[in-house]
Amino acid sequence: MSDMMTGRVRIEDLVIRFKGKQGETTALERTALELEPGTFTALIGPSGCGKSTLMNAIGGFVAPSEGRITLDGAPITGPSAEVGVIFQQYALFPWFSALGNVRFGLKQFGLPKSEEVDRARAALAEVGLSDHADKFPQQLSGGMKQRVAIARTFAFGPKVLLMDEPFGALDAQTRLVMHDLLLDVWQKHRATVLFVTHDVDEALLLADDVRVMSQAPGRLIRHYALSQSRPRSFNSANSDLLEIRQEILHQLRPTSALADVH
Amino acid sequence: MAVTDTRPQDPAPPRARAPRLWRSTLSGSRAAAPLISFGFVLAIWATAGALQIVPETIFPAPWSVWSATVEMWRNGTLQTDLAVSLGRAAIGFAIGATLGVTLGLMTGRIAVVRTLLNPFLNLLRPIPAIALVPVAIVWFGIGEGSKYFVVSYTVFLTVWFNTHHGMEYVPETYLRAARSLGASKLREFLTVVIPAAAPHIFAGIRLGVALAFLSLVAAELSGASSGLGFRLQEARQYIRTDRMFSLLIILGILGATVDLIVHRIGQKLVHWEQG
Repeated sequence: MSDMMTGRVRIEDLVIRFKGKQGETTALERTALELEPGTFTALIGPSGCGKSTLMNAIGGFVAPSEGRITLDGAPITGPSAEVGVIFQQYALFPWFSALGNVRFGLKQFGLPKSEEVDRARAALAEVGLSDHADKFPQQLSGGMKQRVAIARTFAFGPKVLLMDEPFGALDAQTRLVMHDLLLDVWQKHRATVLFVTHDVDEALLLADDVRVMSQAPGRLIRHYALSQSRPRSFNSANSDLLEIRQEILHQLRPTSALADVH
Repeated sequence: MAVTDTRPQDPAPPRARAPRLWRSTLSGSRAAAPLISFGFVLAIWATAGALQIVPETIFPAPWSVWSATVEMWRNGTLQTDLAVSLGRAAIGFAIGATLGVTLGLMTGRIAVVRTLLNPFLNLLRPIPAIALVPVAIVWFGIGEGSKYFVVSYTVFLTVWFNTHHGMEYVPETYLRAARSLGASKLREFLTVVIPAAAPHIFAGIRLGVALAFLSLVAAELSGASSGLGFRLQEARQYIRTDRMFSLLIILGILGATVDLIVHRIGQKLVHWEQG
């Protein structure tokens, strides 16, 4: 299937520095990474390690200081609809209804209005929000808002989907529901997903590949390839998953925490 | 608020009711609250007038003000003045607000325009509208031109300032979302940037309406031959304090009514910006 062939993200020798008041700071150390088409990668690391920076670079929001990022061989030079983004704070437009938000992403195709509306409705149905299409974001709960955002992004079929702690603002119960929903929608659309989180369990439940980043300035320090079938859970049958979880938690534990206090 | 819930509800315990009732009577329902305040002030004013504590020419009683209003209405000046002043305010406001929004969108969006104009416009802002009146008269005479100029100038600066700031505070995530959703620059501008700035733009427009009246009266006080401001000035010459009071109250009611209307329209148009 040609669908499965596209969405290869290649990050080569990427370095990102920011100019601040105290001169330059390195947000991301030299990084190389390849995201296979249609895979789900979770990126995990302590806060401020540069995982969001890496994501923003793939999204085209931040330009590389060194190195380059390509999508199916073509360098990423700015934001585009090939790379969809789902933000922690949803970034829904409050002046549009749920339907209007989904339609916004479909406008680029210049479809006839009825077809555009149909596609938007279908996308909302996929995330279980058919009955809420005409509501405005501020009338929806956090979980529902994020579902609208997921529908909005999947609806126009990006090759790559970046998610920056998308469920970070949700309660534990809602998160679990969202995990199932995300996997469900993703398995239908098969975009290449990069999912940034600081929740180890979330990473292990969702991803094919878990990449662990070091403390700032960030480097990728570990890679776990997970082949366990989904839906996953943490129980004795999945003892390997539990082991990996222990290992990651250990890596993330700030060894220099005491030193940092002073 | 109309709550159409037919389910039986537990009656509130009677003891809790008494203080709540008392409090709600004192503060009044939302619609009645202003009336209570006006009634209160009017009562004091009427008492002071009846006791004749201050001479009528200094501080006329409510009934004198009322009869002065009726007098101005009967001889037709009030209607003419109202029409003239409202017309000037409306035209001046329309010119100023249109220019203000347009230029605000430009300085907020286009770096070159911002660099060229912002420092200059910020320098103009502290100049009081009333200080412009002499210049306006030299430029445009005492006709309508000078009134339009003063009003539109004042409205323009306020609306521009608020629009510009609204543009500056468009959240970055909206822009990022728009771009990653494949929006063209134009669509991003029309359907993301402008709506995101709309609450600020409306705040500017509301301020602009208030300032339109303010600067209009300033312009009419000197160098005019009609309008509410002119009538105030005329009343001074004849020491008709009752007419002055009447005109001041009319200006107050007019300003408050227009402000309320603009506020309501704003709430409808930027419906997402509630609470």
